[in-house]
Amino acid sequence: MAECNIHIAIIEPSHMIYEGLSTILLKGNPHGRILRFENLDELKEYRDKNCLEVIIVNPAIIMGDPGALGSVKKHFRKAQWVGLVAAVFSDSLLQLFDARIQITDTPGNINSTIARLTEENCICADDSPVEELSDREKEVLIELVHGLSNKEIADKLHISTHTVISHRKNISQKAGIKSLSGLTIYAITQNIISIEDIQSGG
Amino acid sequence: MYLTKKTYVKEQMKLAGLLFENPYLMLMMQHFGLNFVVQDKSVEQVCRENDINKDVFTAIANLYNGFQELDSVHFTRTDIPSVISFLKNSHQYYKDEKYPEIKALIDEIARVNSTPEIKLIEQFFDEYFHEVIDHLEYEDEVAFPYFEKLAEEGESKQLADYSARVYRDHHTDIESKIMELKKLLLKHIPLHQDKTLRRRLIISLFELEYDLTIHYAIEEDLLIPLINHFEKTPDRG
Repeated sequence: MAECNIHIAIIEPSHMIYEGLSTILLKGNPHGRILRFENLDELKEYRDKNCLEVIIVNPAIIMGDPGALGSVKKHFRKAQWVGLVAAVFSDSLLQLFDARIQITDTPGNINSTIARLTEENCICADDSPVEELSDREKEVLIELVHGLSNKEIADKLHISTHTVISHRKNISQKAGIKSLSGLTIYAITQNIISIEDIQSGG
Repeated sequence: MYLTKKTYVKEQMKLAGLLFENPYLMLMMQHFGLNFVVQDKSVEQVCRENDINKDVFTAIANLYNGFQELDSVHFTRTDIPSVISFLKNSHQYYKDEKYPEIKALIDEIARVNSTPEIKLIEQFFDEYFHEVIDHLEYEDEVAFPYFEKLAEEGESKQLADYSARVYRDHHTDIESKIMELKKLLLKHIPLHQDKTLRRRLIISLFELEYDLTIHYAIEEDLLIPLINHFEKTPDRG
């Protein structure tokens, strides 16, 4: 958790509460990023919607129009919604949230609530997909770098063109690189080909 | 400079305060052709004095601050010239300042790090740079003059080879190559006495990417819909 750089949005009108809460959250998540929004409309216009893992809202903001929360929620598929409870609210209102933080909670409580919510899709977890290419993918990459077409690679490796295309897709996904010149450099850094290979191969 | 909190820009806010919070807004002001030393003036005041629609200004400033709101703002034909001038100034910045800066850094790196990977990065960048220049020149010479004419005369003739889709494909390409450069330089190519230069290069690439992303958002979500609107319903007034 300590290394996690989660993005947390806060909608809380009180400056004091906002500052206090963001200080506590940053202590628990030194690499976290806190963004403050004034209301749901502002939040809805935030560009990187999928980057927000947690959205903390003072329920008073939505009390007048609880339905509005539902329509905003649709835009933030990955986010967990947390009610920041500093007054008495109806159960039906509090039910709209995935979790609740009480104004009387200790910093430890608050951060463990957030940790519990973000555990599953925490990007710093060590289960990130393997990026190393399989032997077959390496073979395909070598031919690609030498300028062969999908069809030529298929013939040479005795596989279907369809399979070549799917290998190419996986290679690009794993390397994060699509262009041929980018893949060439990648192949060299991974010791899949040597510089002499491409110079002599043309 | 601690760029984790960014404010939602509103017209009554003091511009200097916003600049202290996000210095890249200085760059935005340069793209607008504005002086960024603005004393205590509000956003609205600066816009009024320089004859820029404050809604256009705040919408774009909010893009720089990480908010997307272009769909919900109402723009009119009279806004086209200031948007185009913004985009043209941005082109100037890419051509005369940002790309040469990146090019110079890559050249410097090549002097201290003579590995084949860096040689290939040089080639990669040169090819990419030419593509970008072609694209920018096309916009400067073909697309923008057409838009300007449309704004002036309300002319409704379609520009045959100009469609939002062509535009978008090209953009995706330009952006994804910056991403590839970043990936190679940050993740794969080993450092070889070029640590400081490499950091400066990567940060410069991030800055370019940041500005380009906003540039495209303005073209695709503001300019193109505006143009499409006038192509469909020419206003003779």
